[in-house]
Amino acid sequence: MTMSPSLRKFALTVHITSTVGWLGAVAGFLALAIAALTSQDVQLVRGTYLAMEVTGWYVLVPLCLASIMTGLVMSLGTSWGLFRHYWVLVKFLITIASALILFMYTRTLSYLGGMAADTTLSVDDLRNPSPVLHAGLALLALLVTTTLSVYKPRGMTRYGRRKQQGQRRASQM
Amino acid sequence: MADPPPPYPDSTSDTGVETNNETPAGIPRWVKVFGIIAIILLLLFIILHLTVGGPGNHGPRSNASEHSLRQP
Repeated sequence: MTMSPSLRKFALTVHITSTVGWLGAVAGFLALAIAALTSQDVQLVRGTYLAMEVTGWYVLVPLCLASIMTGLVMSLGTSWGLFRHYWVLVKFLITIASALILFMYTRTLSYLGGMAADTTLSVDDLRNPSPVLHAGLALLALLVTTTLSVYKPRGMTRYGRRKQQGQRRASQM
Repeated sequence: MADPPPPYPDSTSDTGVETNNETPAGIPRWVKVFGIIAIILLLLFIILHLTVGGPGNHGPRSNASEHSLRQP
Protein backbone atom coordinates (compact mmCIF):
# COMPACT_ATOMS: atom_id res chain seq x y z
CA MET A 1 0.00 0.00 0.00
CA THR A 2 1.45 3.35 -1.04
CA MET A 3 0.05 6.69 0.07
CA SER A 4 -0.73 9.56 -2.24
CA PRO A 5 1.88 12.38 -2.18
CA SER A 6 -0.38 14.79 -0.28
CA LEU A 7 -1.33 12.18 2.33
CA ARG A 8 2.32 11.18 2.68
CA LYS A 9 3.35 14.81 3.26
CA PHE A 10 0.67 15.20 5.91
CA ALA A 11 1.65 11.95 7.67
CA LEU A 12 5.33 12.92 7.51
CA THR A 13 4.57 16.34 9.03
CA VAL A 14 2.66 14.74 11.92
CA HIS A 15 5.42 12.15 12.38
CA ILE A 16 8.23 14.72 12.52
CA THR A 17 6.21 16.97 14.83
CA SER A 18 5.37 14.18 17.27
CA THR A 19 8.86 12.64 17.26
CA VAL A 20 10.81 15.89 17.61
CA GLY A 21 8.18 17.08 20.10
CA TRP A 22 8.77 13.92 22.13
CA LEU A 23 12.52 14.60 22.05
CA GLY A 24 11.99 18.20 23.19
CA ALA A 25 9.64 17.10 25.96
CA VAL A 26 12.22 14.59 27.19
CA ALA A 27 14.85 17.36 27.22
CA GLY A 28 12.52 19.50 29.34
CA PHE A 29 11.82 16.51 31.58
CA LEU A 30 15.56 15.96 32.01
CA ALA A 31 16.00 19.60 33.08
CA LEU A 32 13.29 19.13 35.71
CA ALA A 33 14.87 15.87 36.87
CA ILE A 34 18.30 17.51 37.25
CA ALA A 35 16.73 20.41 39.17
CA ALA A 36 14.96 17.95 41.48
CA LEU A 37 18.19 16.06 42.09
CA THR A 38 20.45 19.03 42.74
CA SER A 39 18.29 21.75 44.30
CA GLN A 40 18.27 22.42 48.04
CA ASP A 41 14.93 24.20 47.82
CA VAL A 42 12.29 21.72 49.01
CA GLN A 43 9.45 23.64 47.33
CA LEU A 44 11.26 23.55 44.01
CA VAL A 45 11.94 19.81 44.37
CA ARG A 46 8.28 19.13 45.19
CA GLY A 47 7.17 21.28 42.26
CA THR A 48 9.48 19.55 39.80
CA TYR A 49 8.29 16.06 40.76
CA LEU A 50 4.67 17.16 40.36
CA ALA A 51 5.54 18.77 37.01
CA MET A 52 7.33 15.58 35.91
CA GLU A 53 4.23 13.52 36.67
CA VAL A 54 2.01 15.85 34.63
CA THR A 55 4.54 16.04 31.80
CA GLY A 56 4.87 12.27 31.71
CA TRP A 57 1.16 11.58 31.49
CA TYR A 58 -0.01 14.47 29.31
CA VAL A 59 2.98 15.22 27.08
CA LEU A 60 5.42 12.30 26.88
CA VAL A 61 2.88 9.47 26.58
CA PRO A 62 0.67 11.16 23.91
CA LEU A 63 3.69 12.24 21.84
CA CYS A 64 5.20 8.76 22.15
CA LEU A 65 1.98 7.11 20.95
CA ALA A 66 1.64 9.62 18.11
CA SER A 67 5.24 9.01 17.08
CA ILE A 68 4.76 5.23 16.97
CA MET A 69 1.46 5.41 15.08
CA THR A 70 2.67 7.90 12.48
CA GLY A 71 5.95 6.00 12.15
CA LEU A 72 4.03 2.84 11.34
CA VAL A 73 1.89 4.71 8.82
CA MET A 74 4.98 6.25 7.19
CA SER A 75 6.86 2.97 6.94
CA LEU A 76 3.97 0.82 5.78
CA GLY A 77 2.56 3.53 3.50
CA THR A 78 5.78 4.02 1.54
CA SER A 79 8.18 1.67 -0.20
CA TRP A 80 10.55 1.91 2.77
CA GLY A 81 8.52 -0.73 4.60
CA LEU A 82 8.96 -1.64 8.27
CA PHE A 83 11.30 -4.62 7.98
CA ARG A 84 13.06 -3.98 4.66
CA HIS A 85 15.80 -1.57 5.69
CA TYR A 86 18.00 -1.86 8.74
CA TRP A 87 17.70 1.83 9.64
CA VAL A 88 13.89 1.61 9.74
CA LEU A 89 14.02 -1.61 11.75
CA VAL A 90 16.59 -0.26 14.25
CA LYS A 91 14.59 2.95 14.64
CA PHE A 92 11.40 0.96 15.20
CA LEU A 93 13.05 -1.26 17.85
CA ILE A 94 14.52 1.75 19.70
CA THR A 95 11.15 3.51 19.64
CA ILE A 96 9.26 0.46 20.91
CA ALA A 97 11.82 -0.12 23.70
CA SER A 98 11.65 3.57 24.69
CA ALA A 99 7.85 3.46 24.69
CA LEU A 100 7.71 0.33 26.86
CA ILE A 101 10.11 1.84 29.40
CA LEU A 102 8.10 5.08 29.39
CA PHE A 103 4.81 3.25 29.97
CA MET A 104 6.31 1.30 32.88
CA TYR A 105 7.89 4.46 34.26
CA THR A 106 4.56 6.31 34.49
CA ARG A 107 3.86 4.30 37.66
CA THR A 108 7.08 5.59 39.18
CA LEU A 109 6.20 9.13 38.14
CA SER A 110 2.85 8.82 39.90
CA TYR A 111 4.64 7.46 42.94
CA LEU A 112 7.14 10.34 42.94
CA GLY A 113 4.28 12.82 42.47
CA GLY A 114 2.52 11.30 45.47
CA MET A 115 5.69 11.65 47.52
CA ALA A 116 6.09 15.27 46.48
CA ALA A 117 2.61 15.98 47.80
CA ASP A 118 3.56 14.56 51.21
CA THR A 119 4.70 17.59 53.16
CA THR A 120 6.24 15.48 55.94
CA LEU A 121 9.10 14.35 53.68
CA SER A 122 12.34 16.30 53.59
CA VAL A 123 14.25 17.29 50.49
CA ASP A 124 16.67 14.39 51.03
CA ASP A 125 13.76 11.94 51.20
CA LEU A 126 12.44 13.23 47.90
CA ARG A 127 15.71 13.25 45.99
CA ASN A 128 15.92 10.45 43.44
CA PRO A 129 18.44 9.88 40.60
CA SER A 130 16.08 7.60 38.66
CA PRO A 131 14.37 10.31 36.53
CA VAL A 132 17.74 11.75 35.46
CA LEU A 133 19.01 8.38 34.27
CA HIS A 134 15.78 7.45 32.49
CA ALA A 135 15.42 10.84 30.82
CA GLY A 136 19.10 10.87 29.84
CA LEU A 137 18.86 7.49 28.17
CA ALA A 138 15.57 8.42 26.51
CA LEU A 139 17.14 11.58 25.12
CA LEU A 140 20.06 9.57 23.75
CA ALA A 141 17.70 7.03 22.17
CA LEU A 142 15.59 9.71 20.51
CA LEU A 143 18.67 11.52 19.22
CA VAL A 144 19.76 8.24 17.64
CA THR A 145 16.38 7.71 15.97
CA THR A 146 16.38 11.29 14.68
CA THR A 147 19.87 10.83 13.27
CA LEU A 148 18.86 7.55 11.61
CA SER A 149 15.86 9.27 10.02
CA VAL A 150 18.02 11.98 8.50
CA TYR A 151 21.04 9.92 7.36
CA LYS A 152 19.13 6.75 6.43
CA PRO A 153 22.25 4.53 6.43
CA ARG A 154 22.36 1.83 3.79
CA GLY A 155 21.59 -1.81 4.33
CA MET A 156 18.66 -4.04 3.43
CA THR A 157 17.44 -6.93 5.53
CA ARG A 158 17.10 -10.43 4.10
CA TYR A 159 13.33 -9.87 3.96
CA GLY A 160 13.87 -6.60 2.10
CA ARG A 161 16.10 -8.31 -0.47
CA ARG A 162 13.52 -11.05 -1.04
CA LYS A 163 10.78 -8.47 -1.54
CA GLN A 164 12.99 -6.49 -3.89
CA GLN A 165 13.82 -9.55 -5.99
CA GLY A 166 10.14 -10.49 -6.10
CA GLN A 167 9.20 -7.03 -7.32
CA ARG A 168 11.94 -7.14 -9.95
CA ARG A 169 10.70 -10.49 -11.26
CA ALA A 170 7.12 -9.18 -11.33
CA SER A 171 8.16 -6.08 -13.23
CA GLN A 172 10.00 -8.14 -15.87
CA MET A 173 6.92 -10.19 -16.72
CA MET B 1 3.69 -3.34 -16.33
CA ALA B 2 5.11 -1.66 -13.29
CA ASP B 3 8.38 0.21 -13.09
CA PRO B 4 11.25 -1.78 -11.59
CA PRO B 5 11.54 -1.31 -7.83
CA PRO B 6 14.46 0.68 -6.49
CA PRO B 7 17.48 -1.24 -5.21
CA TYR B 8 17.82 1.28 -2.41
CA PRO B 9 16.03 4.59 -1.85
CA ASP B 10 18.09 7.72 -2.00
CA SER B 11 19.17 9.00 1.40
CA THR B 12 17.51 12.34 0.79
CA SER B 13 14.15 10.80 -0.01
CA ASP B 14 11.39 10.33 2.51
CA THR B 15 9.34 8.17 0.20
CA GLY B 16 11.80 5.43 -0.60
CA VAL B 17 11.06 5.70 -4.32
CA GLU B 18 14.31 7.21 -5.54
CA THR B 19 16.83 4.85 -7.01
CA ASN B 20 20.38 4.45 -5.91
CA ASN B 21 23.21 1.96 -6.18
CA GLU B 22 22.98 -1.66 -5.07
CA THR B 23 23.72 -2.24 -1.41
CA PRO B 24 26.15 -4.98 -0.37
CA ALA B 25 24.77 -8.22 1.06
CA GLY B 26 24.95 -9.09 4.75
CA ILE B 27 24.49 -7.09 7.90
CA PRO B 28 26.08 -3.63 7.55
CA ARG B 29 28.87 -2.68 9.91
CA TRP B 30 26.90 0.19 11.43
CA VAL B 31 24.17 -2.25 12.52
CA LYS B 32 26.76 -4.45 14.27
CA VAL B 33 28.28 -1.40 16.02
CA PHE B 34 24.81 -0.28 17.06
CA GLY B 35 24.06 -3.73 18.44
CA ILE B 36 27.25 -3.80 20.53
CA ILE B 37 26.58 -0.31 21.92
CA ALA B 38 22.97 -1.25 22.68
CA ILE B 39 24.07 -4.36 24.60
CA ILE B 40 26.64 -2.33 26.60
CA LEU B 41 24.02 0.33 27.44
CA LEU B 42 21.50 -2.36 28.41
CA LEU B 43 24.03 -3.99 30.75
CA LEU B 44 24.89 -0.61 32.30
CA PHE B 45 21.20 0.10 32.77
CA ILE B 46 20.64 -3.26 34.50
CA ILE B 47 23.70 -2.76 36.73
CA LEU B 48 22.47 0.71 37.72
CA HIS B 49 19.04 -0.76 38.44
CA LEU B 50 20.59 -3.30 40.78
CA THR B 51 22.81 -0.84 42.63
CA VAL B 52 21.62 1.16 45.60
CA GLY B 53 20.17 4.50 44.63
CA GLY B 54 19.85 3.49 41.03
CA PRO B 55 16.72 3.56 38.96
CA GLY B 56 15.64 0.20 40.35
CA ASN B 57 14.96 2.01 43.55
CA HIS B 58 12.22 4.03 41.85
CA GLY B 59 11.65 5.79 45.11
CA PRO B 60 13.46 7.70 47.78
CA ARG B 61 16.90 6.49 48.67
CA SER B 62 16.45 7.13 52.35
CA ASN B 63 13.71 6.56 54.86
CA ALA B 64 10.51 6.82 52.89
CA SER B 65 9.33 3.55 54.39
CA GLU B 66 9.24 5.32 57.71
CA HIS B 67 6.56 7.52 56.23
CA SER B 68 4.43 4.56 55.20
CA LEU B 69 4.97 5.22 51.51
CA ARG B 70 4.75 2.24 49.25
CA GLN B 71 6.01 2.04 45.74
CA PRO B 72 3.40 0.85 43.27
